[in-house]
Amino acid sequence: MIELRNVSKTYGKKKNEFRALDDVSLTIPDGASVAVVGKSGSGKSTLMHAASGLDRPEAGEIVIDGEDILQFKPRAVDRFRSETMSFIFQSFFVQGNETCYNNVSLPLEIAGVPLRERRAKIVKALKAVGLEEKLKSRARDLSGGQKQRLAIARAIVNDPKILFADEPTGNLDSVTGEAIETLLFEYNKKHKTTLIIVTHDPDLAKKCDMQVHISDGKIQKKTGAKS
Amino acid sequence: MKRLDIMKRAGRNLAQAKGRTFLTSLAIAVGAFTVTASLAAGEGARQYADQIIKSNVDPQSVYVTKESMRQNAAQSNGLKEYSENQSQYGGMSIEMLSSDDIASLKAVEGVDTVLPTYLIDAQYIQFQGIDTKYTSDITTYDSTVLAATAAGDMPPLGEQLAANEAVVPESYAETLGVSAQDLIGKTLTLHLVKTGKTPSETEIQAAFMAGGTEAVQALYLSESKDVTLTIRAVSAQSSTSFSASSAVFISDTKAEELANYLTEGTSSYQQYVSATVMVEDGVDIEDVKSTIKDSGLAALTAKDISGMIFTMVNVLQGIVFGFGVLALIASVFGIINTQYISVLERTSQIGLMKALGMPRRDVAKLFRYEAAWIGFIGGAIGAGVAYVAGTAMNPWITDTLTLGDGNYLLIFVWWQVALMIVGLMVVAIVAGWLPSRKAARLDPIEALRTE
Ligand SMILES: Nc1ncnc2c1ncn2[C@@H]1O[C@H](COP(=O)(O)OP(=O)(O)OP(=O)(O)O)[C@@H](O)[C@H]1O
Ligand SMILES: [Mg+2]
Repeated sequence: MIELRNVSKTYGKKKNEFRALDDVSLTIPDGASVAVVGKSGSGKSTLMHAASGLDRPEAGEIVIDGEDILQFKPRAVDRFRSETMSFIFQSFFVQGNETCYNNVSLPLEIAGVPLRERRAKIVKALKAVGLEEKLKSRARDLSGGQKQRLAIARAIVNDPKILFADEPTGNLDSVTGEAIETLLFEYNKKHKTTLIIVTHDPDLAKKCDMQVHISDGKIQKKTGAKS
Repeated sequence: MKRLDIMKRAGRNLAQAKGRTFLTSLAIAVGAFTVTASLAAGEGARQYADQIIKSNVDPQSVYVTKESMRQNAAQSNGLKEYSENQSQYGGMSIEMLSSDDIASLKAVEGVDTVLPTYLIDAQYIQFQGIDTKYTSDITTYDSTVLAATAAGDMPPLGEQLAANEAVVPESYAETLGVSAQDLIGKTLTLHLVKTGKTPSETEIQAAFMAGGTEAVQALYLSESKDVTLTIRAVSAQSSTSFSASSAVFISDTKAEELANYLTEGTSSYQQYVSATVMVEDGVDIEDVKSTIKDSGLAALTAKDISGMIFTMVNVLQGIVFGFGVLALIASVFGIINTQYISVLERTSQIGLMKALGMPRRDVAKLFRYEAAWIGFIGGAIGAGVAYVAGTAMNPWITDTLTLGDGNYLLIFVWWQVALMIVGLMVVAIVAGWLPSRKAARLDPIEALRTE
């Protein structure tokens, strides 16, 4: 279970201070799929970064499985990022100079998975996104959609409990975008992974267990959830 | 993250920026080249010096003088107290070893033989069947070092020449225009002239009583003597043995006899500039040396001589080495610069790795290993070029400096080169410290915002 309690995040100092998240509270049950929707600049990415422990909000608590990740020491934060959650970015962030295989291998190396166990996991992840043919291709030679699928393979290779996806389809045409979102959605259903996804696609948002509408750093309404 | 995984990623990252990696390495390679060359030259020079000493000095011998050369030099400018057994030699005033000193040297435990240095000054020498008169140094044959033979046969190692035998160098045969073989069995005449006899007062009185003024004058006249020897062997020219190519060798007994003849009645009778003490096998030469030193004489072993030469070689080597190190220090800034650029260029990659949970420590390691790789490549290039160029140039250097066949000035010692490369890797890691720290401290969200 993920619980955000009165989370606030401000950018800039003094006169330029800007409140990107304003007293946000939210509860997400395990295995749920959550769609975060809102206008550009409303604070969706900021919310995702805070909830995933990549960024530090000034106020509030982020309790995941009973522990406030904001109180974690750096080592625990690293372990949380490596073992518990995965993040899919809006702009792929694959390593162009590395092969697909080595891109997907990185999270396993960071988690200290032994060499002999890696190959099977990598192949499985690449198969899941339909890139098993591109094992030895350099990531920079892939098309945009393939790069995003590679990023997904990298995100799911270590079986995360929580999967964050920040507009994973923002840079893609609508057909490819839908295909990729469906891929993530199916992964969530199949593996009982908590999926938190920023999306502009109303159809996908509707399919999710829960929809969170944000504007100006505040949650306007939550639909689909019991609370 | 496992060290090996980090290393592999570091290697791949460098391979990605080949041009930059290569150029940065090249700066290190210049320093590495200089350092490798200086190490090789130093090693070669030491081995060469060692060989020269070995082929001229027996390791079981101690060279003894009355006072150490250093003492001598220190006092040479000042007023010096007169001493009975003092002599002018080579423009320097040297205190001589007396026969008492020789006797006490013989008494030292562990001493096998004591061979004083006999100074034999022949006015001229003549070869059988050749009218021309020549001048030559005459030295005692050193039975402890086996000289290379051009013709005839040398006595076996450790044995002296017979009293009426002589060995001449190959170069003499060339000067005479005959083959070395032709000289074997021929005779050689040394013309010795005795001068500077200072008769005592009683001798003068006795001569005057016996033969008047004429007899006294005769006392001051020089005497001369011809000594005929048979040439037993001709020594071959050697690029490492000095004595073998510069003097007529005679036996120690003959040398003593002639030296006594030449100095009899003068103040330098039975006085010696130096003496060579042979130490028995199995006796520690250092013990004998210290006993001799305790008795107030100066003693020098082959080890001391090589130590003196090595000090000189080391100083020269140190200078070249220093330049190499300077070049390396300059290249350190190249590494720092390259790594900073690398961190800037890969900000989003670093952000991603941190977002994936890569600990700070490992991010820093990744950049430090990249620096280490650069150090390794630079060191390997520098050492490799030095080795190839040095090996190719060695024969030419040997030829130009007439070091003698088989002697090379540049000798590469693998462990020295390996140590240098490891050292360079450490230096590179230290140079990459600041950039790697910058990378480790990047905030993932900030880093990912940079595009
Ligand atoms: N580092 C920063 N410094 C200052 N302001 C920032 C910073 N990051 C975000 N902001 C501001 O915070 C607000 C929320 O930004 P955020 O990136 O969360 O928006 P978003 O909802 O993800 O928008 P989009 O749909 O365009 O991605 C924006 O007004 C943005 O300008
Ligand atoms: Mg955003």
